[in-house]
Amino acid sequence: MATTACFIIVSRNDIPIYETDAGSATKREDASQMHQFILHAALDIVQDLAWTTSAMYLKAIDRFNDMVVSVYVTAGHTRFMLLHDSRNDDGIKSFFQEVHELYIKILLNPLYLPGSRITSSHFDTKVRALARKYL
Amino acid sequence: MEPDVSIETSSMIRIAILPIGEIPHQTLRDYYSIFHHHHPIPLSSISSFYTEEQKSPFTSLPWDTGSLRFKFILGGSPPSPWEDFQANRKILAVIGVFHCPLSPDLDSVIEEFDGVCKGYASALVTRCFGFFPCDSQLEDEIAASLLMEFEKYVFQAESSGTILKTPLDLQASLSSEEVIQAKKRRLGRAQKTIGDYCLLAGSPVDANAHYSTALELARLTTDYFWYAGALEGSICALLIDQIGQNNPALEDEVRYRFNSVILHYKKSFIQENSQRVSPLSFELEANLKLARYLCRRELSKDIVELLTSAADGAKSLIDATDRLVLYVEIARLFGTLGYHRKAAFFSRQVAQLYLQQDNRLAAISALQVLALTTRAYCVQSRASISDNSHINEVGSRNADSGKMHHRSVVSFFESQWSMLQMVVLREILLSAARAGDPLAAWSAAARLLRSYYPLITPVGQNGLARALANSSERLPSGTRCSDPALPFVRLYSFPQHSSQMDIVKRNPAREDWWAGSAPSGPFIYTPFSNGQPNDSSKKELIWIVGEPVQILVELANPCGFNLKVDSIYLSVHSGNLDPFPISIDLPPHSSKVVTLSGIPTSVGLLKDLCFSDPFRSCGSPRLKNISVPNISVVPPLPLLVSHVVGGDGAIILYEGEIRDIYISLANAGTVPVEQANISLSGKNQDSVLSIPYETLKSVLPLKPGAEVILPVTLKAWKLRLVDLDNASGIMGRQLKDSSSPSLLIHYAGPFTDFEDPPKGSVVPPGRRLVVPLNICILQGLSFVKAHLLSMEIPAHVGENLPKPVYVENSAGKETNVSETKMDGLVKIDLFRGSWGLRFLELELSNPTDVVFEINLSVQLDSTDDKLSLGQDAAEYGYPKTRIDRDNSARVVIPLEHFKLPILDGSFFMKDFKPDEAADSRNSSFSEKSARAELKASVNNLISRIKVRWQSGRGSSGELNIKDAIKAALKTSAMDVLLPDPLTFDFRLVRNNLSHGSNDSRPKGSVLAHNMSPMEVLVRNNSMDMIRMSLSITCRDVAGENCVEGTKATVLWSGVLNGIAIEAPPLQESKHSFSLYFLVPGEYTLVAAAVIEDANDILRARAKTGSPDEPIFCRGPPFHVHVIGTA
Repeated sequence: MATTACFIIVSRNDIPIYETDAGSATKREDASQMHQFILHAALDIVQDLAWTTSAMYLKAIDRFNDMVVSVYVTAGHTRFMLLHDSRNDDGIKSFFQEVHELYIKILLNPLYLPGSRITSSHFDTKVRALARKYL
Repeated sequence: MEPDVSIETSSMIRIAILPIGEIPHQTLRDYYSIFHHHHPIPLSSISSFYTEEQKSPFTSLPWDTGSLRFKFILGGSPPSPWEDFQANRKILAVIGVFHCPLSPDLDSVIEEFDGVCKGYASALVTRCFGFFPCDSQLEDEIAASLLMEFEKYVFQAESSGTILKTPLDLQASLSSEEVIQAKKRRLGRAQKTIGDYCLLAGSPVDANAHYSTALELARLTTDYFWYAGALEGSICALLIDQIGQNNPALEDEVRYRFNSVILHYKKSFIQENSQRVSPLSFELEANLKLARYLCRRELSKDIVELLTSAADGAKSLIDATDRLVLYVEIARLFGTLGYHRKAAFFSRQVAQLYLQQDNRLAAISALQVLALTTRAYCVQSRASISDNSHINEVGSRNADSGKMHHRSVVSFFESQWSMLQMVVLREILLSAARAGDPLAAWSAAARLLRSYYPLITPVGQNGLARALANSSERLPSGTRCSDPALPFVRLYSFPQHSSQMDIVKRNPAREDWWAGSAPSGPFIYTPFSNGQPNDSSKKELIWIVGEPVQILVELANPCGFNLKVDSIYLSVHSGNLDPFPISIDLPPHSSKVVTLSGIPTSVGLLKDLCFSDPFRSCGSPRLKNISVPNISVVPPLPLLVSHVVGGDGAIILYEGEIRDIYISLANAGTVPVEQANISLSGKNQDSVLSIPYETLKSVLPLKPGAEVILPVTLKAWKLRLVDLDNASGIMGRQLKDSSSPSLLIHYAGPFTDFEDPPKGSVVPPGRRLVVPLNICILQGLSFVKAHLLSMEIPAHVGENLPKPVYVENSAGKETNVSETKMDGLVKIDLFRGSWGLRFLELELSNPTDVVFEINLSVQLDSTDDKLSLGQDAAEYGYPKTRIDRDNSARVVIPLEHFKLPILDGSFFMKDFKPDEAADSRNSSFSEKSARAELKASVNNLISRIKVRWQSGRGSSGELNIKDAIKAALKTSAMDVLLPDPLTFDFRLVRNNLSHGSNDSRPKGSVLAHNMSPMEVLVRNNSMDMIRMSLSITCRDVAGENCVEGTKATVLWSGVLNGIAIEAPPLQESKHSFSLYFLVPGEYTLVAAAVIEDANDILRARAKTGSPDEPIFCRGPPFHVHVIGTA
């Protein structure tokens, strides 16, 4: 279980459409701000890296201080970004794959406009459960 | 750590530029600008200054291709503790600069310069300039001197050997072993230093040779730090040597060697003194140098790795300044790579480090660094967007430029990076406040408040409002910030010209120049609009020089504090608009629509209309929600202003009331009105009885300030049933405006100025003034019903025949007139009786709250225009009838004068020609005209009856009862209008006894027991000969036939029954007989006739169905008064 983890989904337009604090530790406000800054900056790296591999899971692509950014890029160039401080590649990969399934279910909803914010509470619950399971 | 390091740094000669004496700031800058660019100085150019005193140690100095590289350190710098380690860190030369006009004493200048130079112990060459060293030869001379000094140094180092130490060594406790080791190491270090100088002297081959030796020695003595240094130097030498050569293997070689450099710097890390001094900064510099060398998009993965590991090192850096430099360099390299978000991230780290320093200069630096991040975080100031718009385009060379664009399109609220954006803006605000930059603080607070107010707590909003207020206090008055704050300004609408000053295009080719310019019907879409989109008219707006214009804008304050807008006004970039600023208070969470007005001052097209709003910011120049029409400003036009004389309120009229109103038109413009035309529009146009076209035409041109009064006669229309229902509740309630007609006055000024004939085609537009006649109709006297009454008073049989009715029409006019004049009463001639006299009874009710007086008049003969129109005498006047409020009254109109003289077949055309449609072709012209005559005569009759009223309010009018009368007459029109086919008259005949004058008997009476000769006159009113069988009966008061039977009281001579008479058309036939009355009293004589061989006309008149039915004509009863004794 990661002590600090922040999960975010960024649409292909570089706009975050979902975010959650997957970590168990309670965090201070400036820390969560810092997480956002790190994730935002990591997009630059993902942008280039995504085209160099056919794999969706890009593993840990960036880090700052103790925090590592792992990224999973879907075929539609939606990016799942996880900020964490523990190395548990297998768990993270499984987490991303299951979240991807959930995300596809969201996309299948005819009322969901791709690229818009994910507001489904069901999705949120599931993602948190996955985070507890794998991270 | 040092900023801006690269591999080539090792080959650069540092020269401090120092100001000596007093130099004005700007002059110093000019001096500095000379040295600003460090450029390589070719060895070939310095050869003239170079004198080889002894054999040069730089054996392979490339005199043809080599060069010395200068790096000017403006203002100098303190000596670095690592000078011995890398010769390029030394200040090798000092150049003093002084300003001759301010420092005339050269001795003192030299003294000061010497003093300054003492601080630069490492300087080998010092020069002081009191003028522009514009001659590049001076630089060459310095270069040559430096080269010679390097040679000297190398000789010295080679021969004696200097002790070279670094801070790392100093910390090591000097045990005996280490002293021995240090001695061993010295040689290698000396070789490394000589290599450095060779490199500075521009001789990479020599440098490489020395570095190779140094590497060998350092490896043997495990002097890792110096090994890494030598390796670094050798890489630089390699690069300089290979300059201009395209060697693909070079990059790999450099990368391989640099990895080794980094590795050895890592190895040189000594745990004991890591708290105080560490080679870490060299390792990080090596990282940065390699990254800078490789910095290309294709190698981004490697660079990211290098920079990330460099960033990892930041934690271990002891000096905060080093960390700052590291982050700056990382940010710069990421920026070069095109990773703007990464660059922004590290820039923000830099800014945070600056902010930790807590002084003003650091805050200014932080502010500047943060300003660089705003683009990546999409929180740019408007000013920077407009300045850098071209950079945006250039910078988006990367593949995802579309993505970037899209991101900027998405509004801030949707973008959930808002937390970052708010943090950045807050930091900008903080640093601006610390740096004492009120404009930047204002801008940041404005951006924060405007874009993120929903995410900011009320307390935060108030704080921002205070920050704005504080900043604006410190700003000089009139400063404008390109970032708008609150309130939100939104264009609400462009009010079209009011109907009072509408502008219409003028078509000079037509007499009615206004035609086609304005929508002519009630339809929003007109199919005749030349196929242009319907809203094209909305997009065009004409403003007139000198006339105020208005624009509605909505101001919104979504925040929790009270907002006072000191001044908001319209402005145009061209400046040709005089605005009227207004100030307004916006309570928390409120919005207001306000009218901004101004006066255009010059002719032309207006573009870039914008609102200048408070807090010294410029509002939205691009108006989003509403399309801005093309506004063109035209020269002054005339302006007519109208008002109704006596008040502009509603004109209250009773139904049918006729009244003159006076409309005053004044030219309020500055241009005379030269053309004007009045027309009517709207409903109930027929209520305007007269329009003074001529009056208006006669006053043209209407000069500015002139006024004309136009009389208009109105006649109130009849309220419809719906209106009545509406009005039933409240009397005097104003009806909908739509029911009132309007006067449309199209007017225009002179055509074009004669000054510019080429523009003659452009005709200044005209205007349209709509004068709504605000008529309010009150329910007045109302007509309830009409019906015909008949009155049967028998005539007396007298000696003279009563005058036939039709005679009166022509001959008897004068006499009747005099009678009418006397009392206007209906007179009944006793001898004529009133048989056939009909009365039209009108029932009128007065539902109003005033008294009405009815004046009924019947025109005698409206066909005779001269009489009926010109003289009152032609009318039968009847006494006035007064109808009180809420009462009704009946008025009786006698219709005795309306019988037609001739019974003509044409009247029955309809009746006896049922298949008229088929035969209509054959029906003669005369028949048609005759029928029309009947219709006309009915109308004629009706139009002759006029019911005029006068209300208690002094108004008067006419009651429209035409329809009612028509309805009443419909059933019995024939009876009333058409004469019977036969009319009968009885007359006493005096047998040539001419004693009429002295006869004592009452005139027209008959004596009993006397033979009374009588005549019956039968008049044929038709156009055909009528044969008939006439019978005469005489009845007594009881109604018994007293001629025949057993108890006959009247004897007779002559024939009374079955008299066959033939009456020629329109002539009378006479039949004489005598009666002998036995008993005095009242008798009634009745003549009747059975028409033989009646034609169709007669049948139609008698309304018989079958042709066999006998037509029976009965005359009116005649009374005979028989006097005498029984």
